[in-house]
Amino acid sequence: MLNLFKIEWLKIKTYRTFWILFLGFLIFFPLAFYFSASKYMEAMSTSSAKVEEEILKAMLDAPFVFPKVWHAASWMGGLFFILIGMLFILLITNEVQYRTHRQNIIDGWSRMDFLKAKFSLVIFFVSVSTLLVFLCGFLVGITFSTSKAGIFDGVYQVGYFALMATLYLMLAYLVAILVKRTGLSIIIYFAIVCILDNVLWLIFTLKDSQIGYFMPLEAVDSLVPNPFKPRIMERRTVADYTLIIAAALYIAAYFYIIISYFRKTDLKT
Amino acid sequence: MSAILSIENLSKNYGAVKALQNVSFTVPAQTVFGILGPNGSGKTTLLGIVMDVLKATSGGYSWRGEQSTAEVRKKIGTLLETPNFYHYLSAEDNLKIAAKIKGKGGEDIDRVLHTVNLYQRKSSKFNTYSLGMKQRLAIASALLGDPEILVFDEPTNGLDPAGIAEIRELIKELNRKGKTIIMASHILDEVEKVCSHVAIIQKGVLKTVGSVKDVMNTSGTAEAVTTVLVELSAVDNYALKNVLQRMVGVEEIITMDHHLQITCRDNINAEAVNKFCFENGIVLNQLNEKRKSLETRFLEITGNQSDR
Repeated sequence: MLNLFKIEWLKIKTYRTFWILFLGFLIFFPLAFYFSASKYMEAMSTSSAKVEEEILKAMLDAPFVFPKVWHAASWMGGLFFILIGMLFILLITNEVQYRTHRQNIIDGWSRMDFLKAKFSLVIFFVSVSTLLVFLCGFLVGITFSTSKAGIFDGVYQVGYFALMATLYLMLAYLVAILVKRTGLSIIIYFAIVCILDNVLWLIFTLKDSQIGYFMPLEAVDSLVPNPFKPRIMERRTVADYTLIIAAALYIAAYFYIIISYFRKTDLKT
Repeated sequence: MSAILSIENLSKNYGAVKALQNVSFTVPAQTVFGILGPNGSGKTTLLGIVMDVLKATSGGYSWRGEQSTAEVRKKIGTLLETPNFYHYLSAEDNLKIAAKIKGKGGEDIDRVLHTVNLYQRKSSKFNTYSLGMKQRLAIASALLGDPEILVFDEPTNGLDPAGIAEIRELIKELNRKGKTIIMASHILDEVEKVCSHVAIIQKGVLKTVGSVKDVMNTSGTAEAVTTVLVELSAVDNYALKNVLQRMVGVEEIITMDHHLQITCRDNINAEAVNKFCFENGIVLNQLNEKRKSLETRFLEITGNQSDR
């Protein structure tokens, strides 16, 4: 697997688009997170004369101090991680467009080698971004928390982020392998991420059903909900572990479809 | 001779289109094996299947008696259809990837770049290359690791005349070193000049296979094989045609745009034609004798129309 990753790295290390999107994530997510935190803390520290604002503040539990900061970092990391999903699609559809996927096989990779090499990128992206989420949570937490007790209490949320990132990339992987065309794949990916999943969730939730939380991406989205959403608005009653199982099942299903499709298909553009 | 590649009853359908139908043949070791056919006859489909980028509808194949695996492909150098490289990477980086996939280091890269005369441009990005250079890079990639088997699909595509001659010489040279080369081509002349064996495919059906000599000699119409084709012209082609009509041994005269093409029995050669014309008061300004052999054979087998 490491060998496969080294070859993938040779492919991308001088690819400008890769660096633009990857560095975009590595730079803009921490900046955005830090500035949101500092603006928010500033607003919170000045007491307002308006009663409504005070009530609102009381309803929110401080998202940028320990332990809630892990949750906020995971949530915001997830927003920016959509960029990495797009990048990952690009890296796969490029191979089809340039027919280099054929060449890799001709040169002596098995079809599984090709899939594993791409999966090594999933591991790479998830590891780097999870580390970044952890660092952002830790540093922002240290900066704005007054008490340093129990700082790692909510750190499991970073694990939720890793699961979320994996599922998003596996969806991107699936779409790219099946659709093949760059533009269309990215459009379909965004349609699922931004529209389809949310609409399905909304339909089920309005019917007072919990099934909405088990939609392909909603399972992980619900594990890391918007930290600015007041808790009383939360309608989810299913436990975290059921969502984790759902997410794991989705990952396995995407794997299965990707492998069974790619092993049998004709490699064409 | 042991078989390098055995193909058994291979068929491939693209929906209703039958790209290959029950094709079977074996490629003997240390031959230059030409797969000849018109455009769209199924040559690339056939090679795509044996390299595992396409899946056969039915039938099978084996390399040296082994089931095709990634390990087997690592030891085969292949150029399939078009050069496929990462556009934003240099020639050298592209070859590094190919070498690593083959499980080799980069020590062979300079050698293969020298072989195809691309060493000076090894740091240039692939997308700055001309068509001919891309083709040469693809050949260089196939040569990585000095494989015993080489598969070339239209190897001279996009090359200039000097490049074509170089590649043909390279193929012969590789064969002299004992390599087996499988080469698809629609260019008769190329197959005739380079190959020892040939399989002729048309519309996905194998028409004939064997050594080039055998394929030419097993013709049902023996005289077609042994006829001579001569292209010639004079200042007045009309007068030339009148003279040639009187010459014994000339069987057919076809008027082309700027010259005449005659088919003669094999006891006639260019020298005899020249002499006859001169004696009859015609001075030729062009005279070119062509062996008709494989071309005749090819057209007999596939029919004259390029209807695939």
